[in-house]
Formats: sequence, C-alpha cells, structure tokens
Amino acid sequence: MFTPFFYILKSNGLDISTTEWLTLMDGLDKGLAHSNFTDFYYLCRTVLVKNEGDYDKLDAAFLEYFQNIKEEKINMDKIDQWLHKGAEPPKVTNPELYRDTRTKKEATEVHRMFRERLGEQHTEHNGGNYWIGTGGGSEFGKYGRVPGGIQLGDHSGMKTAFAVLGERQYQDFRRDKKLTMRQFQVAFRELRQYSRKLDLPKTELDIDGTVDSTCNQGGYLKLEFQQPRKNTVKLMLLFDSGGSMYPHMELCNELFQSVHKANHFKDVKTFYFHNCIYAKLYKTPECVSGEWIDTTYAFKNYDKDYKVIIIGDAGMAEEEYYDKNGNYSGPNDGLSGHEWLQLFKKKYPNTIWLNPRFHGDLTRMYWMESERAIKEIVDMYPLTVDGLKEGIKKLMSDKG
Amino acid sequence: MKAKFTGTDTYVAADDLMASVEVAMELEKPLLIKGEPGTGKTMLAEAVSKALGKDLLIWNIKSTTKAQDGLYIYDTIQRLYDSQFGVEGVDDIARYIKLGKLGEAFKREEQVVLLIDEIDKADLEFPNDLLWELDKMEFYINETKETVKAKVRPIVIITSNAEKELPDAFLRRCIFHYIQFPDRDLMKQIVDAHFENLEENLLEQAMETFYRIRSIRDLRKKPSTSEFIDWIRAMMIGGVDPDTIDVRLPYLGVLIKKDEDLEVVRKVAY
Repeated sequence: MFTPFFYILKSNGLDISTTEWLTLMDGLDKGLAHSNFTDFYYLCRTVLVKNEGDYDKLDAAFLEYFQNIKEEKINMDKIDQWLHKGAEPPKVTNPELYRDTRTKKEATEVHRMFRERLGEQHTEHNGGNYWIGTGGGSEFGKYGRVPGGIQLGDHSGMKTAFAVLGERQYQDFRRDKKLTMRQFQVAFRELRQYSRKLDLPKTELDIDGTVDSTCNQGGYLKLEFQQPRKNTVKLMLLFDSGGSMYPHMELCNELFQSVHKANHFKDVKTFYFHNCIYAKLYKTPECVSGEWIDTTYAFKNYDKDYKVIIIGDAGMAEEEYYDKNGNYSGPNDGLSGHEWLQLFKKKYPNTIWLNPRFHGDLTRMYWMESERAIKEIVDMYPLTVDGLKEGIKKLMSDKG
Repeated sequence: MKAKFTGTDTYVAADDLMASVEVAMELEKPLLIKGEPGTGKTMLAEAVSKALGKDLLIWNIKSTTKAQDGLYIYDTIQRLYDSQFGVEGVDDIARYIKLGKLGEAFKREEQVVLLIDEIDKADLEFPNDLLWELDKMEFYINETKETVKAKVRPIVIITSNAEKELPDAFLRRCIFHYIQFPDRDLMKQIVDAHFENLEENLLEQAMETFYRIRSIRDLRKKPSTSEFIDWIRAMMIGGVDPDTIDVRLPYLGVLIKKDEDLEVVRKVAY
C-alpha cells in the first residue's frame, strides 16, 4: 500500500534499494511502527536512510506524502544570497515604536504575495518596503519588522514572521552546504592511489611472505622484502587571488590548510594567479611582480601526472578572458587567458576547477560568459563537500 | 515479550535511538551508529548489554585490522615452534586456530552484544569483507574444514566516525542511526542521570553557557556531552558560584581542548 511512497522517496533523491524496502515491510509486519506515526517515521529513517546528510530528504518526502503539502519549490540559495550580505539584526530599544501600523494580512494572502514577488525579483534588496531582503518594512526577508510576514533564513530577528520557510532540522548535515576544514580533509583522503611501485627499493619486511618461506624451509628463517605501499598522487593547487575572490578567502584558506594537513600526497605545489592563468604563476597570494615562475617552466618541470585543482570564481569580463593583451597585472606572452588555459589542460589532463560562486545553469546568464567558456575547457564544480568529492572522483578516474 | 532497551540508570537514550535499537534487534540486522565524538556511540553498546543482561564483546578496529582477524587466526608460527621442540599435539591444527571476536560471539551459547568499534578506521574493503559473515552469521575455517555458525545471533552494534565512506553494499544491510547532539531537555535528563542532588541553579547556568559556547561558529572542536559532564563535576568539586559561570568561565580547559578555541571563546565571552 505504500508503493507510491517508495517512488516519492526516490524522487526526493533517496537511493533506496529493494532489499531495504523489503526490510521496511518486514519491520511493519513485526509491528515495529506500533501503529503510531512517530515510530513509523523512526522505522523508515533507520531502515531506509544510511547517511545523516539525507535525513532532510526523508523529512521532505514525509511532508509531501503524508500531509499532502507540496513543499514550495523555492530556490533558497538565491534568496540566501540576497539575505547574506552585511545586515545585522536591527537594534530595537522600544519594540512598540517599530510595530507596523498596517493591518496584518491573511496567511494565504502573504503566501500568494511571496510567490508573486519571487517571480519578479532578480537581485538583492535590503531595506525598503517591497522586495525580499534584509531589514525594512517588506513582508518578506530577514530581520524585518512587519508582523505576519514570511521570515527567510536562519535568524529569527524580531520574531514577527509567522513562517520560517526553509528551516529544516537536518539541513546542517546536507553535503552540498559550504563546508568546514574537517570535511575538506576527509574529502582529500579520497585523493590517493596506493601502489607498490617497482622503481622503489624493497625496504619493507613482507611478513606473510617471510612466514611462508620460513615454513617451507622447515623453520629456518628466510626474510622476504617488498616495496613500501605509498600514495602516488602529486597535487598542484592554483588559487585565484583577485579582488572578487576576497569574500571567499576564508573558504580558500580552509582548503589550503586541509591539503597541507593531509600530508599524504607525494608532492604538493601551490601557486596563485589573478583571474586567469597567464605566462606567470605567482608564489605568493599577493601576486607580486618577480615572485613567480614561468608557466612554461612548470610545463617542463612538473610532469603530466600532477593532478591540478584550480580555485577561482571565474568572474572576469568576457573581453578580458579573450584579450590577447591579457590581464593588467602580469605578462601574458601574447596569448589570451583562454589560450593559456587550453595549453594548461593539454599538459595536465587531470585538471578540475572549484568555484565558490558556481552557477549551475548558464544558458540564460549571458553576463557569465567567462564561466561558461572556462567550463568548456575544464570541468567545474562548486566549492562544497559534494563539489570537492565529485571533482576528486573525476581527478581519480579521468585519464584524459 | 522480548526484552526492550529503554536506556539505563546512567545512559539516557533519546526516543529515536531506542526505536532504532529495537528495530535492529527485531530485524536481526547490525546497527550502525554515527554521531559527533562524545555523543555516546560506544557507550550505547555497554548500556544495551547492561540493560538486557547480556555479555559484551568489543572488537576495536585499527587502521591495520583485517576482516580475517575477527574470524580466526591460524598461528603457524606457534605450530612450527612447537614442532621444533616436539610438543605434543602438533598434528592437531585445531589447537592453533584462535577465534577472533566475531568467532567468539558465534560460539557463545547465549546471546551476546558485539560492538565493532570505529569500523571506518580500517581499509575501505574491510566492511565488505564481513558482509557474508554478518548476514549469515557463519564462516568457514579452511585449515580444519569446520564451519562456525552462530548458535544465537549476536546483537551487533557498529560505530563509525565518518572518516571514510562506507561501501553501499554494507550500508544496505545495516540499520542506521545518527545520534543527534542532545537538546536542552535531553541534556538535563542526561546530567540528572549522572549526578544526585545537583544544584538547580548551577545546572541552569552551566547549560546556558555550554550551549552558548557550542553555538560559536569559529570553534574547531565543539565541546561534547562527555566534556559537559566532566565540566559540571569539576565545578561541583571546585565549589563554583553558579552566578559567575557565564562571566568567569571556570575550568574552561575541561570543555575546550584546543588553544585556538580557548582564545576564540574568551574573545566572544568578553
């Protein structure tokens, strides 16, 4: 009788196998749901979901199936960006003073207006009385002061909003959220290729081999050696340190730190660039003239086995990206950023790009031309746990 | 009516955790537990064994542990050694087969609780190597041509710190539970289970400060339940005035273990 529910779970992105589904049926047969909804929910969660990152998806599926409430498909990321910048909760000394005199609107009315506004709005608006944004007297947004409005995001500033949309308990565990250093480190552990390469000397005692040989000789000790088992991955990190990257400094720093703490790589090289790669790779984030190596030097001296991760927002004007004169801050040897990137990818087939301001679908965003053009050369992923993991999977699997 | 786990005097379990333990026992599947450090993953197995009056076997996993270690080890070296000195019974291989924790759990006459602790420390293949054994609750000893089969299926509890991803095939056979960090109500119950006649005011103030510290975003390692309990104990012994806790932050070192974090907390506090 629950078969439609199964497909709703699937459509919410939960990967459930038939075995697990049958296990759930088995559990229901044994009366583990105790004919009550909470225990049924616990039973489903414990049997069907194998990662706390997916708890949120289950909750959404439950809402959809059992309350017949189709959750608003609202692009919270977009709204988050509008709400993100700057605003602090307003300091209120006398709440009465801020009490809005307008009459409180009916809930359905507010929801209708919200959907309408969401359709109209395309950019960030803070303050003011109409758009979705922080502060101000509009019904929608964060830290606002209108009674009966819709509160968006996590901070219930003045607590007048009757609905906090998008507040779900397990959202923190979602793997597509911006991440912490520990999560980065865990992700980097997957970047390894153990091998007992033949070109290393046999320096490690092979215990199993020794036992076998010794027993074969009737107990006379015969030592066997083997090559040590080592990670063979060499990594090159390239950070964009342009001005538009400034808001993402912290995230980049965490990525940098976690690579260096991981220290299981055979070799790590770190360089910096400005907006796009040109003739020089800088040794310091300040990108000072002279503190650099030639990009062609890297091509000659670092072999193609290096796995390359480029971190940047790919945010530059189209003209700059294709310009033969390159970027104002460094030499380009007569080639545009576009051409340099093509050379780079040709030399290092295992290259990915991590973008903290990743845009999924660019078909209608004509002003993001440079990001679209870069994606054609290098695989680009958002700078999140899932993005990094996906990228690493690509780095590990792709041979060219 | 089968025995049901409802926590113990000193282990307070949330409703959903109790439900998961029941489901795992009824469906006879391993229970995989994940959660922040210090939320009582390992203690759960102890509590279950105590509450149900069953023996507890612990198999601690290290990075070098192989699945075979849990089943049995054939001690060739001892046998060879014995043979050189003509010890009796060298021809009996069974004497040199030593059962691991899983094997031991299978051999027991009565049901036991088997804890496989920190399974993610081992190599990626490790959980998959145990699929058959955990499913069928049996394994075969090559050397003696003997099949070891569980007389009673043990209750298997597995903990993971999520350092490595576990293989899908393994996950599909497990009952999964993520221990959430306790909210204030549950935390109060947990603390009550650990202390008799704790001053109400002290607990109140300590909780307030504790959850405030946990909410600081830049913290590298958030203090856990076990650290909170140690902290309260320290303050009880030290005779701290409850009303000064939020300002003076006494014995902060019990809660916060990293130098950088100490600085962060102090900065926020003042």
